Amino acid sequence: MKIIVGVSDMKVSNDSQSDIITYSLGSCIGLVVFDPFVKTGGILHYMLPESFIDREKAERNPYMFADTGIPLLFKEAYKYNATKKRMKVAVFGGSQILDQKGFFNIGKRNYMALKKLLFKNNVLINYEDVGGNVNRTIRLEIKTGDIFVKTSGSSEVKI
Amino acid sequence: MTTIQLLIKDIKNLRPVPAIANQIIEMVDNPSVSMQDIAKIIQYDPAVTASLLRTCNSAFFGLTNPVESVKDAVAILGIDQVVELSLLNASGKTLNKAWKGYGLHEGALWKHAVSSALIAKDIANKIAPESRNTIFTAALLKDIGKTVLDKFIQISSDKIQTLIDNNGYSFIEAEKKVIGTDHAELGAMIAKIWKFSPKMVNIIRHHHILDQNVGKDRDTAIVYLSDCICMMMGVGVGVDGLAYRFNDKVIRELAISPDDISKIIADFTINMQKVESLLRVV
Repeated sequence: MKIIVGVSDMKVSNDSQSDIITYSLGSCIGLVVFDPFVKTGGILHYMLPESFIDREKAERNPYMFADTGIPLLFKEAYKYNATKKRMKVAVFGGSQILDQKGFFNIGKRNYMALKKLLFKNNVLINYEDVGGNVNRTIRLEIKTGDIFVKTSGSSEVKI
Repeated sequence: MTTIQLLIKDIKNLRPVPAIANQIIEMVDNPSVSMQDIAKIIQYDPAVTASLLRTCNSAFFGLTNPVESVKDAVAILGIDQVVELSLLNASGKTLNKAWKGYGLHEGALWKHAVSSALIAKDIANKIAPESRNTIFTAALLKDIGKTVLDKFIQISSDKIQTLIDNNGYSFIEAEKKVIGTDHAELGAMIAKIWKFSPKMVNIIRHHHILDQNVGKDRDTAIVYLSDCICMMMGVGVGVDGLAYRFNDKVIRELAISPDDISKIIADFTINMQKVESLLRVV
């Protein structure tokens, strides 16, 4: 079964028959976690770094922002007995338009927000494919924990 | 026949945006025409009226009582929205297809067009309310050139990608270098043949702002920004990805801050489900 993670959305599953997929990450980030012991994984697809710009929307949809969405992805995985120590973490997206600099560079800011939060919580990133000017589609196979990346115009690649 | 001659021949074969849309676009640009005049035109076109009513009664609006006439629609939704919906209905059929050269599956270019038009209107409402209808329409139709250039992109994709990867070209610069024209230039040609107003032709021609001076035109800059926001959000993005140039000077001149952009993205995302239902109906 395909479990689709929309824009500003998150899904976690331990169903070995399922793949979790998120489409078309531009400057957004797709954060993937997987615990091989309990065979549980999830994807968060967030769009913006910080929720302070609109608290009300962050309450309505916490998956829109890095600072409100990332903790929820981990908490949801813990409900399936996943542990931080065992979890593999992979990061995708954060692309930028050519010449996009400084504060207007939302892709980079999304990535920096993630790095800061994971570092503070002693979480290591096992794999990352971020930046550039492509958009990426990510698929996590729950049975194996394998992650596949597809950029437009290319075929899907297993990482 | 040269590539350009072939392209012009293709433009002539392109199924045009229906006459009614053309008429509405022209009227929207004319300050002496009232919105009520436009409503009158719409109600005499049964196909557009039918799809307009279907859209009005979709989940996007969540109305409790069904809308049964153009007059009802104007009373409930306002004339602006009725004009927009009529334009969406009229242009959807052309844009909704799959465009293989650009790596856009069925509906992707359409989603990009509608999203970009809604975002552009949101920005226009804040900083250029008097031009909001023109800006909405231009954002909706700005990539019409892709529909003609698509098959040429398909055969030139390797050369284009090499220029981007190895020579620092943007996608549109690479189109021009390899094919001899680009989707914005072609879009403007189509708009001209379809007799869109010079202002609309100009915005479509310059919607990627390749020339710094063009960025001084506020309405073009708003359409440009809406396109950049859609790219960042990954909405209806194909092989061209985010390989266009970001011009922060143009954005600064609009007096739009990074936080404003984040807020526009947040607003749009909250409404995304509604937008999806709108896309299905049209």
